[in-house]
Amino acid sequence: MSNLDDTEFLEPATLAEALRFMADESTRAVPLAGGTDLMVQWEAGVRPPPSRVLNLKSLPELAELRAEGDTLIIGAGITHAALRRSPLVRKHAPALADAAATVGGAQIQALGTIGGSIGNASPAGDMAPSLLVANARAEVASIHGSRTIPLTQFLVGYRKLDLAADELIIRFHLDALPAEYCEGWRKLGPRAAQAISKVMGSYRGKQEGGKVASFAVALGSVAPTAIRLREVEQWVVGRKLNADTLREAEERASAEVKPIADIRSTAEYRQWVSGRLVRGFLEHLASAG
Amino acid sequence: MKTVIRTWIVNGKKYTVEFPPMRRLLDVIRETLGLKGTKEGCGEGECGACSILLNHEPVTSCLIAAGQVPDGAEILTIEGLELTHEGQELQRMYVAKGAAQCGFCIPGMLVASYAHVTGDHPDNSDAALREAHAGNICRCTGYAKIIEAVSAAAERLSHEDEDDDT
Amino acid sequence: MSATVSSTYRNVGKGLPRRDGEEKVRGLAAYADDIPVPDGWHGWVVRSPVSRGRLKKLNFDPAFDWSRVCVVTPEDIPGENVVDMVGRDMPFIAHDWIQFKGEPIALVAAPTRALAREAASHITPEIEEQPAILTLREVVDQFQRDPKSLHEMVAQTISKGSVEQGFAEADVVVEGEYWSGHQEQLYIEPQGMVAFPEPDGGIFIQGSLQCPYYVAPELIVTLNLPLEKIRVKQTAVGGGFGGKEDFPTLIAGYCALLAMKCGKPVKIIFDRNQDILYTTKRHPSWVRHRTGLKRDGTITAMKVDFLLDGGAYTTLSPVVLYRGILHSTLGYKCPHVYVDGHVYRTNTFPNGAFRGFGAPQAIWALESHMDRCAHKLSMAPEAFRLHNALRLGDTTATGQTIAEAMGTPTVLENTLAHSQFVEKQKRCSRGDPKADCWYGIGLSFFAHGAGFTGDGESRLKAKAALDLEILHDGEPGINIRISSTEMGQGTFTIMPQIAADGLAIPLDRVCCPHPDTKYVPDSGPTVASRTTMIVGSTVFDAARKLKTQLEAYASETFFGGAPTELNNGLFKNTYTSVSLPFERVAKQLIAEKGPQRVYHQFQLPASLKWDQKTFKGDSYPSYSWGCNVAEVEVNPLTLEIKVLRITSTWDIGRVINPVLAKGQVEGGLTQALGYAVMEKMGIKNGVFDANRMQTYVVPTSMDVPEMDIHFVEYPYTHTALGAKGVGEVSMDGLAPSVANAVEAATGVRLTEIPITPEKLWEKLRETASSAI
Repeated sequence: MSNLDDTEFLEPATLAEALRFMADESTRAVPLAGGTDLMVQWEAGVRPPPSRVLNLKSLPELAELRAEGDTLIIGAGITHAALRRSPLVRKHAPALADAAATVGGAQIQALGTIGGSIGNASPAGDMAPSLLVANARAEVASIHGSRTIPLTQFLVGYRKLDLAADELIIRFHLDALPAEYCEGWRKLGPRAAQAISKVMGSYRGKQEGGKVASFAVALGSVAPTAIRLREVEQWVVGRKLNADTLREAEERASAEVKPIADIRSTAEYRQWVSGRLVRGFLEHLASAG
Repeated sequence: MKTVIRTWIVNGKKYTVEFPPMRRLLDVIRETLGLKGTKEGCGEGECGACSILLNHEPVTSCLIAAGQVPDGAEILTIEGLELTHEGQELQRMYVAKGAAQCGFCIPGMLVASYAHVTGDHPDNSDAALREAHAGNICRCTGYAKIIEAVSAAAERLSHEDEDDDT
Repeated sequence: MSATVSSTYRNVGKGLPRRDGEEKVRGLAAYADDIPVPDGWHGWVVRSPVSRGRLKKLNFDPAFDWSRVCVVTPEDIPGENVVDMVGRDMPFIAHDWIQFKGEPIALVAAPTRALAREAASHITPEIEEQPAILTLREVVDQFQRDPKSLHEMVAQTISKGSVEQGFAEADVVVEGEYWSGHQEQLYIEPQGMVAFPEPDGGIFIQGSLQCPYYVAPELIVTLNLPLEKIRVKQTAVGGGFGGKEDFPTLIAGYCALLAMKCGKPVKIIFDRNQDILYTTKRHPSWVRHRTGLKRDGTITAMKVDFLLDGGAYTTLSPVVLYRGILHSTLGYKCPHVYVDGHVYRTNTFPNGAFRGFGAPQAIWALESHMDRCAHKLSMAPEAFRLHNALRLGDTTATGQTIAEAMGTPTVLENTLAHSQFVEKQKRCSRGDPKADCWYGIGLSFFAHGAGFTGDGESRLKAKAALDLEILHDGEPGINIRISSTEMGQGTFTIMPQIAADGLAIPLDRVCCPHPDTKYVPDSGPTVASRTTMIVGSTVFDAARKLKTQLEAYASETFFGGAPTELNNGLFKNTYTSVSLPFERVAKQLIAEKGPQRVYHQFQLPASLKWDQKTFKGDSYPSYSWGCNVAEVEVNPLTLEIKVLRITSTWDIGRVINPVLAKGQVEGGLTQALGYAVMEKMGIKNGVFDANRMQTYVVPTSMDVPEMDIHFVEYPYTHTALGAKGVGEVSMDGLAPSVANAVEAATGVRLTEIPITPEKLWEKLRETASSAI
């Protein structure tokens, strides 16, 4: 048990106040939302106790969830429980709702937030692939204003984000699922529930006239960040899905990832199964279209 | 060591407590409030033994900095379950069906059961009940009797609802 | 199914709700971390940062204020610096050699946990590091090249007939090697203990433990106190599974040594990370089978090499090895057997007790191998087993004759029928590249030695006492005084059932309080599936004894010497219709003569013979039997393995409480499911890599399949009660049935548990399967 008794606890009432804390080095703090990652890391001694913590829990600005035209806007403070329950998310980003439903158990889903999951910048974060296939943009803010960056660029590397020391993640903007498109989410973990992923991923696609008209696919736990598989995406568009193209798509997808071995799986299996997941997504698309 | 003061509704009663804000809610419940029914099994949100209801949602109290829990928050722990009709029914069925063995996971497990049966339109299929308890690890029972107990309690409670409607 | 359950039992045989159920569902049960410890200090263990080496000295940071804390080093130990278990090779605190990373090198106590921990970080050892051996793989490599180079902790053989002759008679010889890794008990309540110094210089230890009479006597030499000054009381225990059998002596010792030095109560509650890193595990195993077979399926010879990774010190390893080798050929008749068992040291945390105690490793190998043998002969797996199963009159590898009716082969036949095994075999996919989903079904058949190995019970002489006294409700009744603990398996429920029926009094007049060595005699440890069988039977006999005494008193006092019988809570005599309730008579007896205590001591039948040297004779008083059928689905796309259904039949002797018995089986099968497909622990930097609950993954409610459970009752004939054991047999046999099912599904056999998609992928790659 780490001792956090001496950690200063900052309780901003508004986003503006929170950003002011972050602006000044003397008050800058570790932002804390659901605590499902940070509290564990502090407890386990993986991270030393911080000198200051910024409580994001009660900021109303982070709690919005709405559709605006073709865009779905999700506040960074929205929990996994809220994501899986929301009819809006279910309609406009079903793979995200499905992903949220596979994070931890009910208790973790009630605590953990989408902003925290992305902010933790782990390649095993279950939110990223569904956001990536929805072309999500992260909106971040500091007292100097806000900026919006495609998630592909926001996820810089292992535990690295394009986020300045004085910035906070505010919300995500997603392309709502267009009509006639399908989505899917698949997670492979060491057990059926409450698992950290070995490999997981999402796709969004469309078939037209027996051919793939559009295909976006993203996988996590196979590279330092969750990634879109651009090569296989481009290769498959315009093709008819049959045994040959499925096999080739599988091989191309497998070649496009660079997984490592860890306690949950081997690099070789991850490499192979990445291709298999992409094949599964294409089969799903073929059967849906 | 700075402290904060919060006033919460714990098991239906108002409590004002003072603690260092980054103390885990679990420690405040066990040490400051003296409610020892809530257990620590892992301290990392994996086992669910420390589950409580915070504003009607089940959460693992080991992952919450108690300072994050605002004034007026409603907390229900295992000790408060028996003050509710659904809680009593669940406790009765847990005993009747043999759902508790060593009992250490049971306070958290019952909180998960309670959250499920008091939720909006609970789905009481076997799969849904298993999912509702997937955040709570039990190493003794193999879950069979726990699911059986919740199913039986849910069944009885749903008949009562029908009676109310007529 | 036998129908011998006596109708005189009112409680035995009924699925009565557990006695401690209410306090547990209300959150009132007090576990080690819940008991009040006024003015208590917190203990912390300073541990070695290296796996092996010579400890030169400890450096105490001069900048730290040591006056605020209490430190214990070997010089502070009042008695001998040794853990008084089998082997006596483990020091309480390392003083010379370091044998594993994490070995205690000093103890610290302080008013807060944070301060104790901080103080510990200011103690740094100087160690001259030496090469270490860390894994079973390294052990097996060396065993095959140069076994003399290994540190052998114990070795034992079993020999029957002549395997050379058996192989000469064989038409076919089948070989196989099987591996299993560490398994963590993962009771949900971590280890925890509190030691209170007593005014008379003694020590009072309370905590989470299975065996009060292991802890107390094992601390005599270390604390240099007589047994009567070491009092041990069990708190509520949040699961044990063997993990709280041998280890609690260590944590109790740490607390006691600190408490005796600082004069305050000292408490140590492990967090999960410490609990996984620094407590005992199931022994990793490597088993090599060589089996001679006739074309008709008859087994002619079984040769087995059986290796266990003991970890750094002996602890219970010899006993685990004995049970392991005794189970390595059990269940089958074979005239020529040779088993060669060894435990070797590795520089990792000592392995210890875990539900099954060597048997799961043995049965994992045996039942995988039996399928392989059947396959080699093109025989159906069930036909091969039915052909070779031990039956009444047959002898085991130690020459023990199956002398009473047991669940062999009934459990097998019964499970085959319930699972529709033979029909479903035809549906197995065997790696069909065209199938969308691979289905497989697999079988295992096994026995578990009931009670202690060999003549253990004769040497132990388990005792039980019943106290007739005024209970907490002010009415007279019985307190059962046994050292058997309740850790979820139901001791506090079944013992009152048994005692109430033995006395023929109402169940609510019988209590079973938490054992406290101040009040209870030594009934032996709560291990080896012996509690119901041995201690239950002792309680029953004590109850009969007390009943006779009460009847004599009632006859004399109330019925003028007429023959009197206590039945259904009422004393009646043969001549009048007058009856007196138990309470009335008991109250008067207590008022007149004070509380009454009766003792009884367990005795094995004299016919039981065992030679510990040659491993010949009756290796167990009796056997429980089990059969598991597992059905699995493997996803050809991802190779994910899902166990769909488990059908099982069990002979555990007389079933005392069917609800609790079924709960034991459900829990055992679930732990076995984890062992089979999930629970994985490697060694990284000298310690277990899966060191938290996030990385040591056990089954959740969504992983557990449908479980169809049946009992057949073949009571043990040498006790009045007839119970055998249920706790461990349920953990023993699932893994091989899953491996057999996975082979039926995929066409490839995996020989190492846990069976994972990763290993399946490698194997399919190796065999160049066109399916992937």
